[in-house]
Amino acid sequence: MTGIESMKTWKERQHSFDLEDRNKAAVTGLVFDIQRFAVHDGGGIRTLVFLKGCPLSCRWCQNPESMSPRPEIMRIPHLCIGCVKCVAECPDQAIRFREGGTVTIDRAVCSLCGECVERCYAGSMTIVGRYMTVGDVMAEVERDRPFYTTSQGGVTFSGGEPTMQPEFLIAALKEAHARGLHTAIETCAQVSRETWAAVIEHVDLILTDIKHMDSARHKELTGVSNGRILGNLKMAANMGKNLRIRVPLIPGCNDGPENILATSEFVGSLGAAVEGLDILPYHRLGEPKWAQLDREYPLHGVLPLDREEVLAVKRLAEKNLGNVTIGG
Amino acid sequence: MTKNPPVVVIPQLVGPSDRIKRVLDRFVNTAPEICAERAVLITESYKETEGRPMPVRRAAALDKILSGMSIFIQDDEIVVGNQCSMPRSAPIFPEFSCQWVEEELDRLEKRTADVFLISEETKKKLRSAFEYWKGRTTNEIASQLMPAEALEAHNDVVYTVGNYFYNGVGHISADYAKVMNKGLDVIIAEAQAELDKLDFTDPEQLTKMHFLKSVIMANTAVIKFAKRFSDLAKSMAGKCKDKARKAELLEISRICAKVPAKPAETFQEALQSFWFVHLVIQIESNGHSISPMRFDQYMNPFYKADSIGSEKAQEMLDLLWVKFAELNKVRDESSTMAFAGYPMFMNLIVGGVRRDGSDATNDMSFLVLQAGANTKLYAPSLSIRIHEGTPDALYKKAAELSRMGMGYPAYYNDRVIIPALLARGLEREDARDYGIIGCVEPQVGGKTEGWHDAAFFNMAKIIELCLNDGVDKRTGKQIGPKSGRLEDFKSFDDLMASYAVQTEYFVRLMAAADNAVDMTHAKHCPLPFLSSLVADCIAEGRSLQEGGAHYNFTGPQGVGVANAGDSLTAVRKLVFDEKKLTLEELREVLETDFEGREDIRQMLLNRAPKYGNDNDYADDIAREAALVYCREVDRYTNPRGGKFQPGLYPASANVPLGSVVTATPDGRKAWTPLADGVSPISGCDTCGPTASVLSVAKLDHEIASNGTLLNQKFHPSAIEGDKGLENLKSVTETYFQNGGFHVQYNVISRETLEEAQANPEKYKGLVVRVAGYSAFFTALDKSLQDDIIARTEQTF
Ligand code: SF4
Ligand code: SF4
Repeated sequence: MTGIESMKTWKERQHSFDLEDRNKAAVTGLVFDIQRFAVHDGGGIRTLVFLKGCPLSCRWCQNPESMSPRPEIMRIPHLCIGCVKCVAECPDQAIRFREGGTVTIDRAVCSLCGECVERCYAGSMTIVGRYMTVGDVMAEVERDRPFYTTSQGGVTFSGGEPTMQPEFLIAALKEAHARGLHTAIETCAQVSRETWAAVIEHVDLILTDIKHMDSARHKELTGVSNGRILGNLKMAANMGKNLRIRVPLIPGCNDGPENILATSEFVGSLGAAVEGLDILPYHRLGEPKWAQLDREYPLHGVLPLDREEVLAVKRLAEKNLGNVTIGG
Repeated sequence: MTKNPPVVVIPQLVGPSDRIKRVLDRFVNTAPEICAERAVLITESYKETEGRPMPVRRAAALDKILSGMSIFIQDDEIVVGNQCSMPRSAPIFPEFSCQWVEEELDRLEKRTADVFLISEETKKKLRSAFEYWKGRTTNEIASQLMPAEALEAHNDVVYTVGNYFYNGVGHISADYAKVMNKGLDVIIAEAQAELDKLDFTDPEQLTKMHFLKSVIMANTAVIKFAKRFSDLAKSMAGKCKDKARKAELLEISRICAKVPAKPAETFQEALQSFWFVHLVIQIESNGHSISPMRFDQYMNPFYKADSIGSEKAQEMLDLLWVKFAELNKVRDESSTMAFAGYPMFMNLIVGGVRRDGSDATNDMSFLVLQAGANTKLYAPSLSIRIHEGTPDALYKKAAELSRMGMGYPAYYNDRVIIPALLARGLEREDARDYGIIGCVEPQVGGKTEGWHDAAFFNMAKIIELCLNDGVDKRTGKQIGPKSGRLEDFKSFDDLMASYAVQTEYFVRLMAAADNAVDMTHAKHCPLPFLSSLVADCIAEGRSLQEGGAHYNFTGPQGVGVANAGDSLTAVRKLVFDEKKLTLEELREVLETDFEGREDIRQMLLNRAPKYGNDNDYADDIAREAALVYCREVDRYTNPRGGKFQPGLYPASANVPLGSVVTATPDGRKAWTPLADGVSPISGCDTCGPTASVLSVAKLDHEIASNGTLLNQKFHPSAIEGDKGLENLKSVTETYFQNGGFHVQYNVISRETLEEAQANPEKYKGLVVRVAGYSAFFTALDKSLQDDIIARTEQTF
């Protein structure tokens, strides 16, 4: 019942931040969230470990706090009770509080000392990302082991892009396997062939997005072309890995019929390795987080598709594929 | 017990027939009213029988009511028998309490929850009947019997014994199977045989004589009542133009002339026999939670022996379900805050193991779950028992029903409940044969007077008292022992000691209050009909109320486990461990309800671990807080020769109980609701359902053998598809493997509820499960609606 470090729950970790955690083991990972009872990211009931940092910059990203591979300040305004403790405690005077409640943070001078996080009892001032050891992560994952047993679930590493921290990811996957857990990753597959091969060796199920089949358009939308991604998927399929392909369906970006047909055709060509195709309709629940990070949301004003439009896409994809679902 | 779930063949299941749809439509469009007939008839009878032995007076009153009340048969009905002069109306039971009825007569139509229409004529009749009852109600007599401190603590809401203080006891399951298989004639013969054995020169046996005579009178009255329906059906058939309906009416007439006097043979006869018993128990007394229990077990043989087929049988069952929902009860305005939604808590359970330990699933188990799906009514309260050998098919059917969002079935864990009952002295076969009463209370039907809803004990008020030297901060009165002030505590152990002192003191008073009420019922309100259907009353020659049942218990509930636990945890963590806060500061913010110190409230809320997140620090303290209460309750004995046994569930008493408690160290503001059941505090279970379930499983559910209650809410998206059903099953299964007792699921979106709040008209049929029972959402008080909405939506 004492506060042994490894016994801290993920939620308790949010109460403080220490940059030095990075050095507490030979391999540490930067984790920005751990969610229990995830039911749409692989089979059964799972724990989802989100690793920070991503090589893509998709315009529709709903987890903008995952993009940067470094910890960063994020302030959730509606939780603020205006106690101004954060202002008083910041050694670098990085936080300014104006009448009327607007707060500015000078990210350039912030040294990520964590004082404001410690003092903000309301949980408004946060730092995204905690350096954790494989042991720390597994302690949290182990909490729901009884549910994995009764539901055939397991652990899923997501991001950001988990393969951006290959050393940590591989160590964690190995450890999960050693403990008899089913492993999955959620990846964009934008990673070198060598790393890809080394990672998927320890993965039971790969969940991958295909954002666009046209390489140039892919680059416009995400910042990178799709050659390496598609190549990695073929490689995984050839190795006989279980694959679930997902298409985030973004209005005006990738929802045109040619792209849907091309995507489903490609997925069909991967053969029996593919369990199915999930259409993930666009939502904008992450939009407020862009502002909380002082960034501008590129798709501001884009509305979700209505049900009929999504169903039409599903029917289109079904021309090339048997197992198409909406949602995970 | 079987380890490998048996593979069962699922009977063919059909949806609601057109007839059911018509009947349901009529039901939702019938407004509940108050009916004066019962009150008038019982008052006349009591006047006539002045001076005679009490059991005989009760039987004579029952006879007078059953002979004099209006009866009717509605279109499309197959199972007949009404409680009042109009469907969905509520009778009045002046013998238990009527002061509140009189005071609230003019408000019944205008109150916010559980509205009843009432005519001026009815009011006049009731007022005149009530004159007789001044000073004669069980309520008034019991308050004379109670120690003054015990009554005061009840009035200060440290606990409330209100349920049986103002009403009949109910909370029972009769031996329905005996009536269906043998008939009331046999029960009359048994009573006669006992009578014949008596030696009237022995004073004790003379008392028995009156009871046994009352049994015969009451049972004869019920048979006469059934005959009235037989005659009515016959005369209606005579006038009926529709040939098919005419045949149905003639069949009803034939059946009502036969049962419940004689054994039932066909499925329809069994249902009718069952219904007369269930109905008359509700007319004899207004105790709620009259529970049919293991309906699939005693009804299946009649279904199997009949050749009507599943489609016809399903329709009959569905029709019976509407009859359940037509039973009604009026409560006082403040109780509607705790028991809103016209609930009758009639618990009906399927599955589990048989008396020999083998799996009990049968065709009727499935048909019953289907009836819940077809009617989508809040009554009866559907439940399912889960054991290691529960067939997948039944589990899946139950999960499908859970997902429909009515809040049922409730799941019960044989692996915890059977051992808990054994520990309470039940014989092994009886323990295996348990069913559920009311919200969550296990017992063996037909043999037990469980007094399951004896009191609600306000664990958050105990926190207030233990921090303030026994002073009630709401009234400023010294009501508890001087156990120390917050500033005086040197360690967490001092605080726990103070908590224990207050608990001990008030549990003791509560036991005295309960026993005073218990003794009053025994002397002034024995129930001969109900007693005759519970073993061993006839053999012992004693009513249930006097301890005639084979098993006797008294079960008071602790409410606010999470608030008590989290309050103690916050003090330990922030004051004693981390010294982030001084005791003086804490006292100050609690006294001012955090006025101007929202930062400290946020610290209490967010920087101390909370029960419900699978955090041992908080969970261990919640467990201890619950145990302190449970162990105290365990010490007492009731006047029927039975033991007290604790439960941890609130019905919805968490709202009124919270309304008398000042701010608490868990960050809860003054006068706001407590956490419900053993569920974590709304909004504090931030780690999702798996964490919440693992936390709750850490409590000692076995000692709380009167029942614990966990409400788990899911957003529909978390349980969609076949995979969703599997996940729901996995959550239940894991909770149960870890020692959970009961769980029920609310599968509803916040949007739906807000919509329903704004447009009640459009959501008349929307049922939600409120802490132990399902109710029409729009019938709930606004504060309860808000409470439901506030419960964390645990999608991912
Ligand atoms: S410490 Fe937190 S709550 Fe207080 S002013 Fe800063 S951000 Fe707001
Ligand atoms: S982390 Fe430290 S430097 Fe950065 S804003 Fe907070 S208090 Fe200031």
